[in-house]
Amino acid sequence: MASMGGQPPSSLKRRDAPPVSKEGDQLIITPLGAGNEVGRSCVYMSYKGKTVLFDCGIHPAYSGMSALPYFDEIDPSIIDVLLITHFHLDHAASLPYFLEKTTFKGRVFMTHATKAIYKLILTDYVKVSKVSVEDMLYDEQDINRSMDKIEVLDFHQTVEVNGIKFWCYTAGHVLGAAMFMVDIAGVRVLYTGDYSREEDRHLRSAELPQFSPDICIIESTYGVQLHQPRHIREKRFTDVIHTTISQGGRVLIPAFALGRAQELLLILDEYWSNHPELHNIPIYYASPLAKKCMTVYQTYILSMNERIRNQFANSNPFKFKHISPLNSIEDFNDVGPSVVMASPGGLQSGLSRQLFESWCSDKKNACVIPGYVVVGTLAKTIISEPKEVTLMNGLIAPLNMQVHYISFSAHADYAQTSTFLKELMPPNIILVHGESHEMGRLKTKLTTELADCNTNIITPKNCQSVEMYFNSEKMAKTIGRLAEKTPEVGETVSGILVKKGFTYQIMAPDDLHIFSQLSAANITQRITIPYSGAFGVIKYRLEQIYESVESSTDEESGVPTMRVDDRVTLKQDSEKHISMHWTSDPISDMVSDSVVALVLNISREMPKVVVESEAMKSEEESGRKAEKVIHALLVSLFGDVKLGENGKLVIRVDGNVAHLDKQSGDVESENEGLKERVRTAYRRIQSAVKPIPLIAA
Amino acid sequence: MGTSVQVTPICGVFNENPLSYLVSIDGFNFLIDCGWNDHFDPSLLQPLSKVASTIDAVLLSHSDTLHLGALPYAVKQFGLNAPVFSTEPVHRMGLLTMYDQFLSRRQVSEFELFTLDDIDSAFQNVTRLTYSQNHHLSGKGEGIVIAPHMAGHLLGGTVWKITKDGEDVIYAVDYNRRKEKHLNGTVLESFVRPAVLITDAYNALNNQPPRQQREIFQDSISKTLKSGGNVLLPVDTAGRVLELILILEDYWAEHSLNYPIYFLTYVSSSTVDYVKSFLEWMGDSITKSFETSRDNAFLLKHVTLLINKSELDNAPDGPKVVLASMASLEAGFSHDIFVEWASEVKNLVLFTERGQYGTLARMLQADPPPKAVKVTMSRRVPLAGEELIAYEEEQNRLKKEEALKASLIKEEESKASHGPDNDLNDSMIIDTNNSHAPLDVVDPHGGGFRDIFIDGFVPPSISVAPMFPFYDTTSEWDDFGEVINPDDYVIKDEDMDQAAMNFGGNMDGKLDEGAANLMLDTKPSKVVSNELTVQVKCSLIYLDYEGRADGRSIKTILAHVAPLKLVLVHGSAEATEHLKQHCLKHVCPYVYTPQIEETIDVTSDLCAYKVQLSEKLMSNVLFKKLGDYEIAWVDAEVGKTENGMLSLLPISTSAPHHKSVLVGDLKMADFKPFLSSQGIQVEFAGGGALRCGEYVTIRKVGQAGQKGGGSGPQQIVIEGPLCDDYYKIRDYLYSQFYLQ
Repeated sequence: MASMGGQPPSSLKRRDAPPVSKEGDQLIITPLGAGNEVGRSCVYMSYKGKTVLFDCGIHPAYSGMSALPYFDEIDPSIIDVLLITHFHLDHAASLPYFLEKTTFKGRVFMTHATKAIYKLILTDYVKVSKVSVEDMLYDEQDINRSMDKIEVLDFHQTVEVNGIKFWCYTAGHVLGAAMFMVDIAGVRVLYTGDYSREEDRHLRSAELPQFSPDICIIESTYGVQLHQPRHIREKRFTDVIHTTISQGGRVLIPAFALGRAQELLLILDEYWSNHPELHNIPIYYASPLAKKCMTVYQTYILSMNERIRNQFANSNPFKFKHISPLNSIEDFNDVGPSVVMASPGGLQSGLSRQLFESWCSDKKNACVIPGYVVVGTLAKTIISEPKEVTLMNGLIAPLNMQVHYISFSAHADYAQTSTFLKELMPPNIILVHGESHEMGRLKTKLTTELADCNTNIITPKNCQSVEMYFNSEKMAKTIGRLAEKTPEVGETVSGILVKKGFTYQIMAPDDLHIFSQLSAANITQRITIPYSGAFGVIKYRLEQIYESVESSTDEESGVPTMRVDDRVTLKQDSEKHISMHWTSDPISDMVSDSVVALVLNISREMPKVVVESEAMKSEEESGRKAEKVIHALLVSLFGDVKLGENGKLVIRVDGNVAHLDKQSGDVESENEGLKERVRTAYRRIQSAVKPIPLIAA
Repeated sequence: MGTSVQVTPICGVFNENPLSYLVSIDGFNFLIDCGWNDHFDPSLLQPLSKVASTIDAVLLSHSDTLHLGALPYAVKQFGLNAPVFSTEPVHRMGLLTMYDQFLSRRQVSEFELFTLDDIDSAFQNVTRLTYSQNHHLSGKGEGIVIAPHMAGHLLGGTVWKITKDGEDVIYAVDYNRRKEKHLNGTVLESFVRPAVLITDAYNALNNQPPRQQREIFQDSISKTLKSGGNVLLPVDTAGRVLELILILEDYWAEHSLNYPIYFLTYVSSSTVDYVKSFLEWMGDSITKSFETSRDNAFLLKHVTLLINKSELDNAPDGPKVVLASMASLEAGFSHDIFVEWASEVKNLVLFTERGQYGTLARMLQADPPPKAVKVTMSRRVPLAGEELIAYEEEQNRLKKEEALKASLIKEEESKASHGPDNDLNDSMIIDTNNSHAPLDVVDPHGGGFRDIFIDGFVPPSISVAPMFPFYDTTSEWDDFGEVINPDDYVIKDEDMDQAAMNFGGNMDGKLDEGAANLMLDTKPSKVVSNELTVQVKCSLIYLDYEGRADGRSIKTILAHVAPLKLVLVHGSAEATEHLKQHCLKHVCPYVYTPQIEETIDVTSDLCAYKVQLSEKLMSNVLFKKLGDYEIAWVDAEVGKTENGMLSLLPISTSAPHHKSVLVGDLKMADFKPFLSSQGIQVEFAGGGALRCGEYVTIRKVGQAGQKGGGSGPQQIVIEGPLCDDYYKIRDYLYSQFYLQ
């Protein structure tokens, strides 16, 4: 696509460069698929170092690798959570590929019903596409393996992964379809997936979330179109079928194997029940999934609406009386009028294509396309009723059969979208899952309609990132001992800041084990050093370095010990060894290191007699040395430094003069700037040259 | 200061009475559980009646009588009208349990504490939540979030978590830690350091059933069957029985047995139908097998569902297993079957849970079991002869009185509103709706035609003789012509919904036909009772299939959860005292065991205040990751934001000195592989010490057994001779900690 035009820096892969600290508040949303198109839904989102991927579909009109979303744009290994909204191919079918063939190692979630049907629908997809596609993305084994990695969640159940909180709402599109709300550090993003606000025969309508999200990523399949009322669509549907079969024709309904098909079957079964004259006309549901999926539909009635639940109390509404399953075209005895519902919905291949090709040239027959069809599929082509169609074997055949397009697909239309958004009032809207002109029109219309609420509507293309900035306040709770008194402004607070997810707590180290699962620890170290000299020598040497060296004897063994700086204890274990033990902390470790060095030195220098006077004499010498050093350093800083009267130093810089008193550090100068600099310089030199005080502050 | 929390037991402390507790959080009163026992003793509910009107919300934890049995009665008699919260299975199974209770009682006595309608209306205002759903309360409870979590004991069983201002109050009774066939274990252990934990001591003294319990269970059943005897398992209506059914199904499949198994309750078939659609709530193995092969574990192959006893009586003779409700043997099918089978030596009565105190089941579980028990056999018989005539006369008299009263009221009403009024219309609707109520239906033989008319349509007060209702439609006119109501012209889109309504939900769900017949039975009947003594000759076995955590795992869980304050309820006095002493020693210093109606204040004395972390401060903080946590030491200066919040700013003076802190939890078992991955030879030496390389050892001393309470930081000792390895290993050791 255009945006792919070789701009590697825009890629989202995390480079080796360390993350910039400012990055924390940037929220990035990038459609990897379904940006200005319908199919291969996949939206990437990242905020505060957490990454979420919504959906993982394929493009039904393409095959092989080109049907995948643009996974190259991201680094799969950094994705924390992958959320699948529903089981349709354009939302879930690249999941086995993503799980099994990429470096992805995050967690995957979907609803119970979605997971149960996901396996059926993908296994079917793999089987069906074997006919036409050479390069398989994955096989059945991959699907089975992916099942183990998929976790399930229930509607409204809140799950937290790495500080990312998310939960889902009913979306009303197909059984188990969900809208995900993701909350990262207080910033909420709603991803609707495919949704419908209209209740139908078996599904609930999409819920209105309790909280308004900061960003709403919403589908725009139907753009500004309006649906006909449901009962009119149902009447058109049944009328077309009734007329066709009463004229001796056959009706083909290409439909997605699962999802909307169940709704159509409910309509047909009910219609047949009410029209006894049709009872001799067979309805076939030509999908090997037919029987398998029914148990799923029977089981997850909790995800359906009240109507179905009440019917369930009497008999299973999904046990159809007038519809029989059809396993393959071989079993089909095509002798007279009949109604066949077959997959796939786009007439790309499979049974629906076979039936279409054998029926398309007879004008008595009819084809009812019951839902949205993706650009590039044969179903989309025949809606515009061309004179001829190309068959699978390359031949051209006349298209004489009637083609009707009656949409039952449970996507929101403009009226639903605009009311939904008006009630939700998200400040930012990102449109996905719609063809670009539909999307454009929707954007224009929404912009005028939501003009007075300052809403930001964006329609990114695939791989085009939307960047937003959120100023989130980080709040911490100070608890326990540290919070016994609420501090006044200007006081200091010191403690351990504990971060879990995006909640912060500040506490005293001693309270750690009360408020968290962490605990403080003490490490005691004991080290033995070979040393065969006199214990007293060590003491003598240590006293030269450390202010406090106390000797005593060990109570148990009676061996002599000494304690250095009240931190490290030395013990003469035997003639050959001394041991040293202390409790770890940076200063004690340092002290212990110095003791070790000292002891080793003594062992090495053993025969050498230490001359005491040398150390004494050096007092004066070092004083002189220090002065020389100070002078040299000042010269290197200021250039012209001379010894003036009263032992003062005269410093000249660009005609300004400063007098420095070496004893007190006072500086006199006309020029304030110079005075200040000289003073600072002298203070630093002093602190570098003069010995360190024995005890730190 | 923390959130104010008070706990007042209403029922069920220091004994095994039903559970019911009042928990008040900042003045918002939760009634957690609303239980009753199998005796339905109204005196137990005395304390509840006093507080019922002050309750703001009811939370239900499990679907058995002990946890929700009193709900219909309380709603009807005490005016308890607060919203009720539960999970979907607790709601549904609870409803079925109550139906079963009612029908079992009704069959043997003039049970008048509540009716099926009362049960329905009580369960109507239940809000259903899913596990881990954070439900934000509004209004008075603003700021309180409630969430159910898996308890593991019964399907949909709940550990309630109530959160306000980041402080958790957790109510966990009857949880189970072990994963079972149909349920996962509880998630209670994932909650750490809640402010308050309310839990039960019911099983504190019971220890894990023996390992070979399963074998005993299977052996005793198969032995009895082989020797030609029958097995009776008295079970609950829709709770633990599900586990037993799965165990039996598996055993039958494994050994290809073909003795019949019957599951006999008034609601057995709808129970299993609903359970089939509750897979989301069950354990991993069940959901997994469904996802991969669509095998619903509750499509039962060996168990036959029966809803009345005649079906059992008609079943072919020969050894069989019967699971029948009630577990207490006080009423229901299990009672009747016990009486029939007890005197036969070959038979076996297998109890899978401890009977409620003072019930027949508990008596029989005594050691040694009684030789004979006195039971009351009651049965409902249709009235006949003189009794029937007397009854009909009485009913007619009542009817007439009612009709008279009704017409008087109507008269008044129609006086008030003239012309074509809607009252007439309304009264018709009401009547048709009521027609299923048994006593309202007019006996066709008895009442005169006048009664029939009155029942169908109330004659307008102005008419002398009964007449069909007649509506004079006067049309209103205004300047634009006749006034029309646009609604009349709207095409009805929702026709199918109405159709659905007819299917049926008078009962808010489905009731088995047999049960429905029984309930709708309009035939006048009476209860005949006779006392008889039953010789108990059959074998009696009690095996623990209660699915509750045992004493040991209760203690482990409590030590792990380590609440700041602990409230103990439900359990015999000894068990409560035992657990209290244990917890005082090992869990936390604040353990409360309140008496009934004694209010205890468990408000946390925790100090806390909120601050804002300024961006400037945070940009300088470097976190170190330790497990789920990230920690850092901060030195900050307190400032104020524009809106008066305290905020932490970077410190302007030099940081105050503080004692260095090592944070982390070293697990030797985890540390060992880490060291070996760094190329160091590691092995465990005696006493849990870790020998690293040739000379260096690391060990933990003063093993802090309990995390809660006053135990201090962990002590780790590293020792070795002066060598390179020592410093290398020390560096690795440091890398496990956060050091500041």
